[in-house]
Amino acid sequence: MYRFLAAASLAALFAYSQTATAAPPHPGRLLASNCFQCHGTDGRKGFEELAGKSSSSIYEEMKEMQAKAADQNIMNAHARGFSDNEIWLIADYFSKVSR
Amino acid sequence: MKRRQFVGLLGASALSLLLPGAALADDERKRRSTSTATSTTGTAPVLADTGATGSVVVVGGGMAGATAAKFLRLWGGSNVKVTLIDQNATYSSNIMSNLVLNGSTTMSQLTYNYNALKTLYGINFVQGSVVGIVPPVGTGMGSVRLANGTTIAANKIILAPGIEFDAVPGLTPALQDGYVTHAWKAGAQTTKLASQIRNMPVGGTFVMTIPASPYRCPPGPYERACIVADWVKKNKGPNARVIVLDANAGIQAEKHSFETAFNVTHAGVIDYRPNQTVASVTANTTGGKHAVTTNTGTVYADVLNVIPSHKAGKIITDNPALANVGGRWAGVDVRSYESSGVPNVYVIGDSAASGQPKAGHIANQEAKLCADAITRALRGDLIPNPAPKTNSACYSPITADTASWLTVVYGYDAVNNKMVAVPGAGPIEAAAASQDNFNDMKKWFATLMADSFA
Ligand SMILES: Cc1cc2nc3c(=O)[nH]c(=O)nc-3n(C[C@H](O)[C@H](O)[C@H](O)COP(=O)(O)OP(=O)(O)OC[C@H]3O[C@@H](n4cnc5c(N)ncnc54)[C@H](O)[C@@H]3O)c2cc1C
Repeated sequence: MYRFLAAASLAALFAYSQTATAAPPHPGRLLASNCFQCHGTDGRKGFEELAGKSSSSIYEEMKEMQAKAADQNIMNAHARGFSDNEIWLIADYFSKVSR
Repeated sequence: MKRRQFVGLLGASALSLLLPGAALADDERKRRSTSTATSTTGTAPVLADTGATGSVVVVGGGMAGATAAKFLRLWGGSNVKVTLIDQNATYSSNIMSNLVLNGSTTMSQLTYNYNALKTLYGINFVQGSVVGIVPPVGTGMGSVRLANGTTIAANKIILAPGIEFDAVPGLTPALQDGYVTHAWKAGAQTTKLASQIRNMPVGGTFVMTIPASPYRCPPGPYERACIVADWVKKNKGPNARVIVLDANAGIQAEKHSFETAFNVTHAGVIDYRPNQTVASVTANTTGGKHAVTTNTGTVYADVLNVIPSHKAGKIITDNPALANVGGRWAGVDVRSYESSGVPNVYVIGDSAASGQPKAGHIANQEAKLCADAITRALRGDLIPNPAPKTNSACYSPITADTASWLTVVYGYDAVNNKMVAVPGAGPIEAAAASQDNFNDMKKWFATLMADSFA
């Protein structure tokens, strides 16, 4: 439910930004760049390739990892650093990168 | 399917701004990837006009500077001209360089060139040593000056020179003559230390000193002690020892992992001594033991590795307005990494006092934040990044085939204009060192270096 709301508000943001001279970057780009060190620039290569994955699968994986023991897997620890809204922005960014 | 809808919403030209390379037809992409195959294997992104216009000079082509140059082109687009300057033609990675000491890798395997940045991203690479800066005023041009007298003009200047060492009495000649090493700027120093360890007598003593924080790579010295201990106990007999003289009151990072390593995994080999401040070094030039004197006495070593205390690069400490944190480090606005003392000059990586660890993984993230902020500024966009986020991730080898890890996610504290650890998100370290972590470490390193240099 929340997911669809977040996606809708993102779309609204883009529609609005079109009035500017040059469109601003995706609002999740800089946040998502925190993932590039391990998942490759724009999520291409590295550990699990994120480019082009569906936003809901990225979101759900992050939520699952947040719930697991932090010291068992580096991603369980990392996932805890991002709010639901931030995870949505990140997931939306990668879902729109071509593989 | 989703992507198609998104294209419909924005129009194809806007999409190309968002997704480097996305607007290329598949056949065009193929053509480009084959035509750039001479020195690199990547695909050149198509750089759009993002509305940002100007020129940026980046001083220092290490973890921070190389990443900044790449993302300024990727995100700034076709009208942002980027010049990257380094004193060396290639970069020697510090990360993983402790594994040269046990022969797992070599410095040549840890050497990176600037070809991808030049050919794929259109960055102008200049080899030279920067000796002076004229900060840009307003939207005008400033410049940097090289030792050979050349000047290079820019609207924005990024300084990413890494670190300099403080002097230690007796150390400079000992380093110059090669009797003692720091091996904390990887390269010839690392190779030298590896050969000294190899030639250490059976039952010999390796002594290393750790400087007071802040220094680069908080777990790095403890990692070095582990790798050397692991190697000498297999190759230099049961009496070989590793003595660690730490200026700090205790282990500075991954306390659980290194306490286990010192007291269990390498018990009896590593002798860890906190609160040891180095006063002087006396190298033995005739093949005998070297001496290091601390506040508590003198320790003798067959192989002596002294890591002096650190400060920002000379190009920063030469300018008091830049080195505005104790005359040693550069204060920055962590939303952009713009110097808090000199407008239009940005400092990223180890030289910045950002409240975050001095490490390569996070230097890469600081560089992206800085590239994003400069792109905004060159678009005339006055909205600052409202909520920067960074992350630090580090794998530390504990033996020749096991490693631990440490991570922190940092968020922005708007009240104090500082980066602080997100509650619950670190520092978190691995429950135990493992082989799986060691394998992940190799993949992490390869991906991090590609994100920075390719
Ligand atoms: C043994 C060791 C292990 C490490 N392990 C890790 C690890 O596992 N993970 C991690 O994240 N970090 C690690 N680090 C830390 C990491 O290497 C540094 O934090 C990182 O390199 C900082 O990046 P930087 O760009 O600030 O500096 P550097 O990478 O040192 O780059 C600075 C560059 O600037 C150039 N330069 C300096 N002054 C000038 C000038 N005046 N003109 C022209 N060029 C100039 C230098 O030649 C150099 O190429 C380790 C460090 C060491 C020593």
